[in-house]
Amino acid sequence: MSARDGVLARVRRAARHEVSHPGAFEPARMDSGWERFASTLHAVGGEPVGPVQSGDLSWALSELCADAGRVVMGPGVAQSLGPGPWEELPEGVSPQSLADVAVALLRGSIGVAENGAVALDGRHAPVRALPYLCERLILLLETSEIVPDMHQAIARMPPDATRFHHFYWISGPSKTADIEQTLVLGAHGPRSLAVVGIRDLQ
Amino acid sequence: MSELLDARAATLLPDGEPLRRHDAAVFDLRRRRDAAVAALPDFEALRTHAQAIKTHTLDYLDAYLERFESQAAAAGAVVHWAEDGAAHNDIVHGLLRERGVRRVVKSKSMLTEECGLNPYLEARDLEVVDTDLGERIVQLGQELPSHIVVPAVHRSRAEIGELFHVHMQTPSGESDPVRLTEYARRDLRPRFLAAEAGITGVNFAIAETGTIVVCTNEGNADLGMSLPPLHIASMGIEKVIPTLADLATFLRLLARSATGQPITAYTSLVTGPRAGGELHIVLVDNGRSRLLANSTHRSSLACIRCGACLNTCPVYRRAGGHAYGQAVAGPIGAVLAPALSSQAEGRRLPLASTLCGSCSAVCPVRIDLHGQLLAWRRTRAHAGAGERVLQRAAAVVLGRAALLRAAGALVRLCWPLLARRWPGNPLGVWLLGRQLPAHPGASFATRYRRLKGSKR
Amino acid sequence: MDVALFIPCYVDQLAPSVGLAALRVLEHVGCRVHYDPRQTCCGQPFINTGATREAARLARAHLALFEKADAVVCPSASCVSTVRHRYAELGLELGPDAQRLCARTFELGEFLVRELDRSELGSRFPHRVALLQSCHGLRELELGHPSERVYATRPEPGVTERLLRAVEGLELVWPERPDECCGFGGAFSVKFPEVSTRMGRDRVRALAATEAEYVTGSDVSCLLHLDGVARREGLGPRPIHLAEILASGLDG
Ligand code: SF4
Repeated sequence: MSARDGVLARVRRAARHEVSHPGAFEPARMDSGWERFASTLHAVGGEPVGPVQSGDLSWALSELCADAGRVVMGPGVAQSLGPGPWEELPEGVSPQSLADVAVALLRGSIGVAENGAVALDGRHAPVRALPYLCERLILLLETSEIVPDMHQAIARMPPDATRFHHFYWISGPSKTADIEQTLVLGAHGPRSLAVVGIRDLQ
Repeated sequence: MSELLDARAATLLPDGEPLRRHDAAVFDLRRRRDAAVAALPDFEALRTHAQAIKTHTLDYLDAYLERFESQAAAAGAVVHWAEDGAAHNDIVHGLLRERGVRRVVKSKSMLTEECGLNPYLEARDLEVVDTDLGERIVQLGQELPSHIVVPAVHRSRAEIGELFHVHMQTPSGESDPVRLTEYARRDLRPRFLAAEAGITGVNFAIAETGTIVVCTNEGNADLGMSLPPLHIASMGIEKVIPTLADLATFLRLLARSATGQPITAYTSLVTGPRAGGELHIVLVDNGRSRLLANSTHRSSLACIRCGACLNTCPVYRRAGGHAYGQAVAGPIGAVLAPALSSQAEGRRLPLASTLCGSCSAVCPVRIDLHGQLLAWRRTRAHAGAGERVLQRAAAVVLGRAALLRAAGALVRLCWPLLARRWPGNPLGVWLLGRQLPAHPGASFATRYRRLKGSKR
Repeated sequence: MDVALFIPCYVDQLAPSVGLAALRVLEHVGCRVHYDPRQTCCGQPFINTGATREAARLARAHLALFEKADAVVCPSASCVSTVRHRYAELGLELGPDAQRLCARTFELGEFLVRELDRSELGSRFPHRVALLQSCHGLRELELGHPSERVYATRPEPGVTERLLRAVEGLELVWPERPDECCGFGGAFSVKFPEVSTRMGRDRVRALAATEAEYVTGSDVSCLLHLDGVARREGLGPRPIHLAEILASGLDG
């Protein structure tokens, strides 16, 4: 008998097939405004920026990226920006070639007010390692895409989200407290994370 | 006598400063948890919901495993099954060998600790680098993690500085956590870039979609599974949950219970391999199906490894994780050890608790941890023949009022002798750090008789 | 009201004054108290170490002895929790009467407050007193509010606290980490004496920091353990059982 069949046979014998699934959870009502999202994000070490009008986005990002070194922007960001101190993510590059990226500018989707997380869909970060290799990560987020809690956040994920290999929830910068519980930002991934709220992204 | 949690054992956290620091650091996590969960008005209902999902999933685990397997395979992952730790290590090694891999980066996974993967691979000439900072520290120190969430919590900053100095040539005497973390980052970054394979654990596996979910704060797992072409994810068969919607419940509970964060910095949902890469998922049993068949203890499989029961446990905080002698310490470690550990020592661990119940009260999936410890005690696996005889005798004495009172009279007579420390004093163990109370005088029964007799 | 007084073995032998105080308090509130001297031990020490056979024998004897009681009152929370919650795990096949008896076995304080609705007894104890919330009383009998739990609305004070607040002259103080275990744990205290006393020492220090004259609680065993540690350390408030405080200053 293969290991698979052996394990499954034992599990089948032990499984009771009694208790049914409890269904959906009804969470307590909570606020989903930018203010609450921003304060949670701040608490987890992230920087809320804005919200800005889409017309002002290019200017706001130039400020954020000034003198940063290599700035790379992902799909879905470029069309809303004019020229600036950034380059578009080249197609078909190896992740290793992005090891020197200082700032990654990526388009986030759903924001979660209760935990400051922003969804980063695989389509907006085609090189999977980019948001972890950069020194600083900047995510764009439409304020209308903020939901109060994780239940609604997951319900909002596009139905094909899991077909694009990876889908991230990112809440604040990389951090560790492994040395005497002292919080240090930038353990391996980005040392800082900014989320730029946009009122009317096209 | 066994040396678990024993003062004579080198594994017990040293008294004094290390003990004080450990207790404070770990209890701080409990405090953060309290603050975080207090902000959720529906927290207790959420725990109940999470428990219900887990109970259901374990009841239908066969179906969910098969569903997960077929969905993961449809997304392009290769699913392997392992009966035990040895089989798991063998599968992982085989995958690495076939591809000529020499350098592996690994993120935190309690399962691989349980299976002893690192020593197995190192003995076969592979370079395995633990990339979670805490794991890296215990790897450099050649020891087991002492906590499932903060593996190096037993180490002081000075000790960590010394380890880094020896192994990474950092300046001697450096003990600043910010700078030490920066040194580790610089040491590990090139290893990530050069690695040919990344091994990660799995926090949740979603049957509906074949997705694995990995939660970290450092981002190390993400670098490990996105830079090298080969990603191996090891998971216990109990990690599967039915749907994506269920994930929300667990994500709301996990980090809050663990460290008081509202969610970990990174929650990565991975479905199938990335373009040009490979994803292998190893499903490990290693005693879990046996535990599932045990109706008293199956609920301990619901554990999501948040560490909250360790953080709140007054015994764990005063003993340190190494005193448990297992990959997983604390209340959940003591609950799992009799079922999953190969060592005989593990069977005594259910005794290592005062049954204060704080673990059960924090557990986000409502495992009745102290009830489980008590249930393991009922198996009597820990009790030797001598102890059984003594207990039988004690039960006879305590079962009859006359014998109880006679024994009590004898004890009261010998009180001054028993209160002193001398070799052979049957109360010697009590007197190690305590004294006897003042002489109690006549028993309640005697005084009651006098009182009521005189009134009549 | 008729109540049966249950004085557990170790209270009978090691802390008889607690039994007398409980008797005094119950009579003061007008109960007719019945005490049967044939009672011994609820079986907790055996349940605690998994000696089910011995425990079952003691449990059966205990239930038989109190068979006729309408309510059993006991000044030791852990023994009450044993009867109420653990007897069911011994495989005794408890009938409806036995189950009712288990459910109607009360810790002294909860009996006064929950059953008789009495928290003001007229006791007087003009001292600064720290409260030690013993784990079984707190988490299994819910005599207070465990710090782990999230309450949707702020609950009213727990049973023990309500009783102490009603004592004239008593100043109630809480140690840091108000419900951390003292480290007794029955067999634990002798199987792992080092860790047990480490826990005890930390509790004693936290209690000493409150500058209380006394430390009180509803479980005698925890108080005895703490007393032992405090004497060895030469530190900390003197232990006094809840029943003894409640019995202080009662007239007649
Ligand atoms: S047993 Fe519960 S509290 Fe302990 S680690 Fe597992 S989930 Fe967390």
